[in-house]
Amino acid sequence: MAVALITGAGGGLGAAVARRLAADGHLVALNDHPDRSVAALAAELDGVAAPADVADPEAVEAMVADVEQRTGEHVGVLVAAAAHMTMAPFAAHDPDDWWRIVDVNLGGTFACAQAVLPGMVERGGGRMVLVSSEWGLIGWPDATAYSASKAGMIALTKSLGRELGPLGIAVNAVAPSVIDTPQLEVDATAAGVSVDEIRERYAARVPLGRIAAPEEVAAAIALLADDRLPTLVGQILHVNGGTTRSRA
Amino acid sequence: MPERPERPESLAGQGRVALVTGAASGIGAAMVRELSGRGWTTAGLDLSPAPDADHSVGVDVSDPAQVGAAVRRIERELGPVGAALCAAGHYAIVPVSDIAWPEWRRMLRVHLGGLVNVCRAVTPGMVERGEGAVVAVASELAIGGGDAEAHYAAAKGAVIGFVRSLAVELGPSGVRVNAVAPGPTDTPLLPPESPWRKASYLQTLPAGRLTSAEEVALAAAYLVEDGTFCAGEVLSPNAGAVI
Repeated sequence: MAVALITGAGGGLGAAVARRLAADGHLVALNDHPDRSVAALAAELDGVAAPADVADPEAVEAMVADVEQRTGEHVGVLVAAAAHMTMAPFAAHDPDDWWRIVDVNLGGTFACAQAVLPGMVERGGGRMVLVSSEWGLIGWPDATAYSASKAGMIALTKSLGRELGPLGIAVNAVAPSVIDTPQLEVDATAAGVSVDEIRERYAARVPLGRIAAPEEVAAAIALLADDRLPTLVGQILHVNGGTTRSRA
Repeated sequence: MPERPERPESLAGQGRVALVTGAASGIGAAMVRELSGRGWTTAGLDLSPAPDADHSVGVDVSDPAQVGAAVRRIERELGPVGAALCAAGHYAIVPVSDIAWPEWRRMLRVHLGGLVNVCRAVTPGMVERGEGAVVAVASELAIGGGDAEAHYAAAKGAVIGFVRSLAVELGPSGVRVNAVAPGPTDTPLLPPESPWRKASYLQTLPAGRLTSAEEVALAAAYLVEDGTFCAGEVLSPNAGAVI
């Protein structure tokens, strides 16, 4: 099975994706920011660690070249899960941080997609799974940069789906609602409540009555990474417990 | 503080019963094969015999009495229905001005009515057991429309509206309702001379080909088993016909 490059693999969702794709038989290459080591997880999963700041296109290009050299293969599956998220009222949001969110989430996805593309073309096809967010569909207060970046990823998915489909490269996205990861602490801090309280607040608006486990989102990503679905292109798979019900 | 509901395990076959309508051919038959391969006991409902299903019942899904009787028989003989997949349907290319009332009515009764009849028969038991999955087969035409199949698009659009509503209604019980909305699919519903099979059309699709029934079945199986946080979702392997 193909080499799968997972960005943001040191995070709660990224790690779950890495475990799932490794279990499905992929050779996994795990990327995260150099400040957050993924070496232990890579060793555990018999994969390779591929540190790089995805917001730095040159670093991304070098990282992909390194992965290809060490695995001896082109990347067949890209999962763009690297994300930066802080919450602040719009008027008070520090511009540098605002742009850092957009540069990591949307710019990082652009850089990674562009870096793996020549290899995917050469190997005759591939699959890209972009990790967007329900907030990219419906927006969210105090999350303007994050929502804008994730909405941009949806449009990127649709455009790349159209553009790369004829090359045998299927580009799709997941748009999960809130996931039960350590990232919840950011939300809890912004709201001035405990993590348990914020979990309950988010769960209250979900028809299934709870928030997502990372493994559930990883399962959706595994489906979109499955090469037995050649006509699944340019689509957004909403993993949100019924909250948003397929807007966009 | 209310207790946090636990994440359910994926709904695996393990001898559970899956009911599939339209099981005699095309997408329904592929669903039967996919779920059988995953350990489900399959019951096929169709006007024609469904040879791939473990249990085949001759039923017109537009008739609530026939569907109710078939489900009672299946549950008596095989056990409770854990998953219901509604693929029964027909398709016709007719300009809207030429759609006669009986054709319009039949289209709605089979696609929307067939789904409603199955849901009325199987979901009360699912709710009682606190688990179950329904997958309806919609169509990309429900989302994007088309120029000569308004009754089909309307029926499939109604299917999506119904799915999203039932998903919200039953979500708290643990029963998940979702849909697949395939693009033109390589099944007997598309005769050899169908315009959807023409190279000039397929070239306009980003994926450049018809969807296979097996792909639709794979997407549906995901929604049944692994899609434990999907509700009211419409998953669309449509070759990029609607993006």
